Amino acid sequence: MKKTFVCLLVIALFATIFGAVSAENSDGKITVWAWDPSFNIAIMKEAAARYEAINPDVKIDIVEMAKADVEQKLNTILAAKTTEGLPEIVLIEDYNAQKYLQYYPGSFADLTTKFNYDDFAAYKVGVMTLDGKVYGVPFDSGVVGFFYRSDILAEAGFKAEDLKNITWDRFIEIGKTVKEKTGKYMLGFQHTDGGIMRIMMQSAGKWYFDEEGKPALIGNQALVEAFELYKKIVDSGIAKPTNNWNEWVGTINTGESASVTSGVWIVGSIKAAKDQSGLWDVAPVPRLSTVDSKNASNLGGSSWYILDKSADKDAAIDFMQKIYAGDKDFYQTILINNGAVGTYLPAATGEAYSTPDEFFGGRAIYEDLSAWMKEIPPVDYGIYTYEADAAIMAQMEAVCAGTMTIDDAIKAAEAQLENQIQ
Amino acid sequence: MGKKLSMKGWLFISPALILLAVFLVYPIIYSFYLSFTSTKGIISSFVGFKNYIRLTKDPMFLLALKNTGIILVIQVPIMLISALILANILNDRKLAGRGIFRTAIFLPSVTSLIAYTILFKMLFSFDGIINRLLLSTGIVDHPLEWLTTPKLAVFVLILAMLWRWTGYNTVFYLSAMQNISYEIYEAAEIDGASKTQTFLRITLPLLKPMILFTTIMSTIGTLQLFDEPMNLSQGGVTAATMGPGNCFLTLSVYIYNLCFKYVPNFGYAATVSYVIVFIIAALTVLQFWVGQSNEEKDAKKRLEKEGKA
Repeated sequence: MKKTFVCLLVIALFATIFGAVSAENSDGKITVWAWDPSFNIAIMKEAAARYEAINPDVKIDIVEMAKADVEQKLNTILAAKTTEGLPEIVLIEDYNAQKYLQYYPGSFADLTTKFNYDDFAAYKVGVMTLDGKVYGVPFDSGVVGFFYRSDILAEAGFKAEDLKNITWDRFIEIGKTVKEKTGKYMLGFQHTDGGIMRIMMQSAGKWYFDEEGKPALIGNQALVEAFELYKKIVDSGIAKPTNNWNEWVGTINTGESASVTSGVWIVGSIKAAKDQSGLWDVAPVPRLSTVDSKNASNLGGSSWYILDKSADKDAAIDFMQKIYAGDKDFYQTILINNGAVGTYLPAATGEAYSTPDEFFGGRAIYEDLSAWMKEIPPVDYGIYTYEADAAIMAQMEAVCAGTMTIDDAIKAAEAQLENQIQ
Repeated sequence: MGKKLSMKGWLFISPALILLAVFLVYPIIYSFYLSFTSTKGIISSFVGFKNYIRLTKDPMFLLALKNTGIILVIQVPIMLISALILANILNDRKLAGRGIFRTAIFLPSVTSLIAYTILFKMLFSFDGIINRLLLSTGIVDHPLEWLTTPKLAVFVLILAMLWRWTGYNTVFYLSAMQNISYEIYEAAEIDGASKTQTFLRITLPLLKPMILFTTIMSTIGTLQLFDEPMNLSQGGVTAATMGPGNCFLTLSVYIYNLCFKYVPNFGYAATVSYVIVFIIAALTVLQFWVGQSNEEKDAKKRLEKEGKA
């Protein structure tokens, strides 16, 4: 009797340990991972509501996590070669897309025949193409705007015309005048963020790599100028140092800084300060002066990917087809509500684009921004953008402190990058 | 009967044993194997000692090693010495309100690593309270860039760690001190020993095992330092550098970056973590050796003295 009891107890223990692992089956639920509650999460909720109206049988579960957590979870699960716990749809930043596609082959659904990719902006499709197959659904554009406070700049003596199609050198000069006359900073600045370097480089159609994906830092004039400009911005005192994203956005919302040059997705954060309505305006991003460069660039932007082994893959594809590649009204709504400039071309015109925006002094900013979007020089981000970013920014401290020349910094960065990507 | 009993014993501990084997022993062995492979996502290849050779030429790894070393060499001694002094003060039976002080000193150890790091980050931000205090008292004439200047940033990190961990070690010393018989102190007092003398001649030698223990624990803790630098650095995981000039890049942070920020190379990351294991093992052996050899010396001296007497 006792023996039986002991055996049962042991069996029960084993059952609790191993029984929890059971196969995940189709549950008619599409799980989505994304990270920004005021942007891609909100937009996905809108899309989900629209799809659930068409197809009430399907439930869409949107999970919000920090961007780093999304990447960490995705990496861990994919590397473990398990399909447990994966969502149907995941949002991946464009800079990172190739890394996932190349190093987790077979993990993402091949969507080449499921969507008509001519309907999407070409540079977005390029990011998600590997060996002639397309793996994602293009989402938002990161077209860059030079968003500024028209009232502060007017106080310093600058009109909208003075700020159009300028160079970064001119931008710094203007910043100095603004600081002098109004006491405001020209911009908020995160010392460890390489974003502004990437904006500058892409405006010249350059990146950290050559066509074969090899590091191309040495002899890259766009990079040299970006380095010089970065140092000038720091030295000139026109930038308010901030410690993190929230502090950085804070400099915009509290009116401490007179401008922000960033991807169009920042509009949502700018508009968070409702009391500043009517005080903002936008101009094209400044350009470089020593290389052939346009007043158009890109920062960030991301796309949706469907996991090939997920239980409700087909439902997820249908959802993306019906909403993201079919519902033009959806794109108008997310533009107005969330400031999301989509890359679905049939929806890139329409009322929402030409509606004057009171927040931006009555300017139809999205008309301008989508015009600039077409000008963005396409570049191949490759798979090592973050490694390159880290290599460059690691030298920045010494360059700004004046203890290292830019040439030496670039050489050191290239050496580090070479080691990092072997 | 005895055999049956031991069978039952094994049966009862088998769930725990199996869990240990699956979640502890297997990962340790597997990650050792991993450290000889180079992986890119799920594409993996066996490279032998190449990863270990690559480490010696990897500027990021060397920087991480240096940063961790600097923090270790500065923070651990300051922390342990202040913990000793605090414990000695708190051990004084004549001190009024001992209980309150003890609680207050241990209290930081209860806070979550993330919470206190964020708090320090706010205190030392460009327009944080520290800068405002310094400005209003006229100590500085323009706000200091605490977290954006490498040296100041490391200072803040060490200060934060001291705040969080000194009390923790104090409690260890305090409990060890309370095991020292009060009669010894009384005897010393009667013999006319000063406070400093009692501390150096009685308390310290009797605390030796505890000092050795806390030194090893702190060394291990510092070599695995992750939460604090990760959260103190601007933008954390999404930033291009970990703190200004990568001053917050510790070995554990580098492991994280290799796995999740860059092209995921779990093999190379495993190599770095095994290097931490080797360093910890070496330092622990060294500390044991230093501790023990002293004791042996003492024992020898004592024997010699007794012999003479």
